[in-house]
Amino acid sequence: VTSAAPARELLDGCAAITESAIAAGCRFFAGYPMSPFTGLLENMSRRLPQVGGHCLNAESEIEAVNMALGAAAAGARAATGSCGQGLALMQEAIAELALNELPMVIVNMARNQQDYFQATRGGGWGDYRTITLAPKDVPEAVEHTQLLFHLADRYRAPVILYGDPFIAQTHVSVDVTARDLGPLPAKDWALDGSTGGTGHSRQIWTWAMGKVTDPGPGPDGHWRAIAAKFDDIARTEARSESYCIEGAETVVVAFGSAALFVEHVVDELRADGYPIGLFRPVTLWPFAGAELAAATRKARRVLVFELNAGQMLDDVRQFVHDRDTVRFIGGVSIHGSGLSFGPLLDVAPIRSRILEAAA
Amino acid sequence: VRNEVVITGIGGQGIQLMAKTLALAATRSGLQAMLASEFGGEMRGGPSQASVVTDDHQLRALPILPSASSAIVMHHKHSDFALDRLEPGGLALVNSSVADPAAVRDAEVIAVPALDVARAAGAPNAGGFVMLGAYVMVRQIVSVAALGSAMRELVPPYRAQHISANLRALEAGAAQMVPA
Repeated sequence: VTSAAPARELLDGCAAITESAIAAGCRFFAGYPMSPFTGLLENMSRRLPQVGGHCLNAESEIEAVNMALGAAAAGARAATGSCGQGLALMQEAIAELALNELPMVIVNMARNQQDYFQATRGGGWGDYRTITLAPKDVPEAVEHTQLLFHLADRYRAPVILYGDPFIAQTHVSVDVTARDLGPLPAKDWALDGSTGGTGHSRQIWTWAMGKVTDPGPGPDGHWRAIAAKFDDIARTEARSESYCIEGAETVVVAFGSAALFVEHVVDELRADGYPIGLFRPVTLWPFAGAELAAATRKARRVLVFELNAGQMLDDVRQFVHDRDTVRFIGGVSIHGSGLSFGPLLDVAPIRSRILEAAA
Repeated sequence: VRNEVVITGIGGQGIQLMAKTLALAATRSGLQAMLASEFGGEMRGGPSQASVVTDDHQLRALPILPSASSAIVMHHKHSDFALDRLEPGGLALVNSSVADPAAVRDAEVIAVPALDVARAAGAPNAGGFVMLGAYVMVRQIVSVAALGSAMRELVPPYRAQHISANLRALEAGAAQMVPA
């Protein structure tokens, strides 16, 4: 290997996300094995000690997320993860992170796309949401990982990377370099022990009551401020991608790996003369509603393709100008193992569902 | 130039190591590569398949290929996916020590008696590397030397005793494609 050799390495998604997280400064990870998330835990456990970080194999997902919560409260760039079934167990802690205003990256290495409601609505208590990025392939997952650590710190909130078995296991030649995403506020809120014994110790509490001598805003003021913060995020952090939208009579809406397959079908159908395009929400929350409305305003039909019984469909219906143009062409499709996508995530069935709906 | 290959066989034949070797050799040679695998939970004998796409510029490829310009058939069992998606007239390199090349239709079929060649090379476990050596002589994606370096990098320390046999198998496979 000479110095002129490319910097790209052949990595699977779990290894690539690990390298990207380390490049972003992640130094604490805790998790509990669950396929297809296990590869990420294995990579973190191998790599973090090499850079002075810590990785713990917890006894459950609940323990893992709370370990990471503790590390985040102490100011570390911390992360955890699982697949959607494990994130179900973590919901209480995710709400606590949001209400405590603690940054955390949660990698949902999902088994399919039935986690959309969980990611975008959440199952914990309070007026919070989780910024959720859904990469379409491994190189984008590398970018999203660094962006998520930045957003988590900027907004002091838990954020989600929504992966899947293809993101986890596909090997690609990638170049993982640290990206400069701009300055961040100092973590002067972190429990670093520096003010212990002074009477001015720091406190992180979902109720923000403060102390007798130093009262906080309390639940009313604190929870209003949190709701206002998530309103602000909803206005500024929505990301999406429009593909071949110009002149499209049919617009397909899809996210994650499914969008990669739809993109291929759009190329095929455009080559055959069909006026068709793709709208891809990159952030599942905040949902790019205004962009979707603009991309579909002139479309005769809006087809929603997702590997579930129709979850993103709710968001699409909220924002498309004429709801009667929206048709669902996705569905539940699970691999025989239960651990991955079923046969619907393939070019031929997607193409035939689009043509059937457009006929 | 874009190249797609689906490698198909059964668990234990080295399908996954072949695919990783090809994808790593391509990456080290300055190409972009994508490798998507699917295999059963069985230690031996279950379905094992991998798709490798390489390109010399920005690569966009699906983890489940809609079609492929070539296939390496190590075993007839579980080979439906690879053969169904092989483009008409595409290249099918068939391990004729196990699978029947005549069963592959509508393709440019090249039979390589991989196990016989491997045995003759003193590398009876390395039939997959015979096929890989032969494949790159036909498709010219990477050099046989690049495959050898990638294989050395991938073989774990506790399997290092197989490296020289693997290298002999790669060379023997490549020699199959050189006109006598």
